[in-house]
Amino acid sequence: MTTPSAFVNGLRRGRREVVQVLRSPKELFNFLSTPVLMVVLGLFVRVDIPGSDVGMGHLIVAGGITTMIAQASILVVPQALAVEKEDGTLLRMRTVSGGMTAYLVGKTCVVVVTAVGGALLTLAGGVLFVGTDLPRDLAHWGTFAWVILLSLVTLTPLGAALGALLPNPRGSLALMMLIMLFLLGFSGLYFPVTVLPGFVQAIVSIFPLKWIGQGIRSSLLPDAALAAETAQSWQLMLVFVVLAVWAAVGFVIAPGMLRRMSRRESGTRLKKAVAS
Amino acid sequence: MARRLMMRYGTKDVLRGIDLTIRRGEVVALLGPNGAGKTTTVEILEGFRRRSSGDVRVLGADPNAPDESWRSRIGVVLQTWGDHPRWQVAELLEHMAGFYPNPRDVPTLLEELGLEREAGQIIQKLSGGQRRRFDVALGIVGNPELLFVDEPTTGFDPEARRNFHDLVERLRGDGLTMLLTTHDLHEAERLADRIVILIDGQIAAEGTTADLAEQARAETKVIWSEDGEEQVQYARDPSEVVWQLHKKFDGPIPDLQVHRPTLEDVYLQMVRAGEPQ
Repeated sequence: MTTPSAFVNGLRRGRREVVQVLRSPKELFNFLSTPVLMVVLGLFVRVDIPGSDVGMGHLIVAGGITTMIAQASILVVPQALAVEKEDGTLLRMRTVSGGMTAYLVGKTCVVVVTAVGGALLTLAGGVLFVGTDLPRDLAHWGTFAWVILLSLVTLTPLGAALGALLPNPRGSLALMMLIMLFLLGFSGLYFPVTVLPGFVQAIVSIFPLKWIGQGIRSSLLPDAALAAETAQSWQLMLVFVVLAVWAAVGFVIAPGMLRRMSRRESGTRLKKAVAS
Repeated sequence: MARRLMMRYGTKDVLRGIDLTIRRGEVVALLGPNGAGKTTTVEILEGFRRRSSGDVRVLGADPNAPDESWRSRIGVVLQTWGDHPRWQVAELLEHMAGFYPNPRDVPTLLEELGLEREAGQIIQKLSGGQRRRFDVALGIVGNPELLFVDEPTTGFDPEARRNFHDLVERLRGDGLTMLLTTHDLHEAERLADRIVILIDGQIAAEGTTADLAEQARAETKVIWSEDGEEQVQYARDPSEVVWQLHKKFDGPIPDLQVHRPTLEDVYLQMVRAGEPQ
């Protein structure tokens, strides 16, 4: 019998993990709660985006799509790494050759499936219940696709680096979540960022979330909604540049941090973690 | 397998020069109190931890720089493992089997370990004993030549312990080479061909159970009274000493006591001597 490559094992691992999410009512509920919440919110908020005749619900649905992408990559990945480094999952993968590669490939599969699945689900909910339009032509579908893809390429390594960085999951995870929730809340995903004070807008502009949100809105919302954007423009070039820079940062720091993490993890550390 | 192995964390020496050789097909128990460095030793041999100095060869390779196939030839059963909590028992075994060139058949393995009814069970719902047997299953699913088992029965009730010992004996019967760590002398005696006693980062004694018992006998203490004073003599053959005393006293020996230490006495004495003051 020939041994499948680490990559193939990783794909199988990803498939099993996705099935596990679908199999567990609790995790399925977690996964579905955001799209449902966003669609319901989009349905109830009956005002227009300031300065336009576009319903705020459309902006919220676009924000929900961004949330699903961010959730799968920068929220779930660090948590999963932090937990799986503590419960021994990573160590188990180190007992086999190619285990770490398979682990990362598997995680990537889960991120892609849950992010894309979540985004499409939210979009479908928006189309059915809020009246959101699908991207109106091939170019807009193209934007929708590349923004999602580049977002995952950017956020997943950053999420992995954060997960590797966290020394003890519980305490630091809470702090990290707080920062993430701040960024999610104030990046203009659920209401126009232009209503916020200038310095808050400046802070969130440094991070990728605001730009992902803007890219997704550009693919779904009519140009009339530009009235509520920072520069009255979708700034797609800038979206690309900011995401690419963050992607570069992630790809530079993540591999080293993952290697360091996998080296440091051992049974004695595990025991301490379980005992504490 | 290891020569002059040293491990230092900061200024604390955890392992202070260990020489350890395990022959093929042998079951060796690394016996020692908590904190003696057993787990550290095993983790260095498994390639999970870098040593500070010394030469280590496991199955012909340096665990820090193993070749591709090396990992597939060793199996690892660690102390506390709560990994892959949401996976099903057979599912994880099948997945891990996929990393080995010549894995065991998963259904047969489950049957051998008495886990066939748990095949579809979610791993985090296994009982402690089931979980431990499952850990062994994961350790041997790749058909390893060498198996490391760290503290196999800590926290077991007597029945689970007995079952586990039977399992290890069956594996030994299959010709598997094993290094297991324990702080339980009886477990080491029961399972191992050879016992290596590790105390405070050094090997305090090693040998077969019979060897160690022999060493223990060298410490037999004969006590008697002579001219109102207590006399003490250590002897390898106490009956010879007592016979000489009988001839000397030409009758009963006053206040005669013969203390023949058990292996356990010797071990506990070593442990106490190794404790930091």
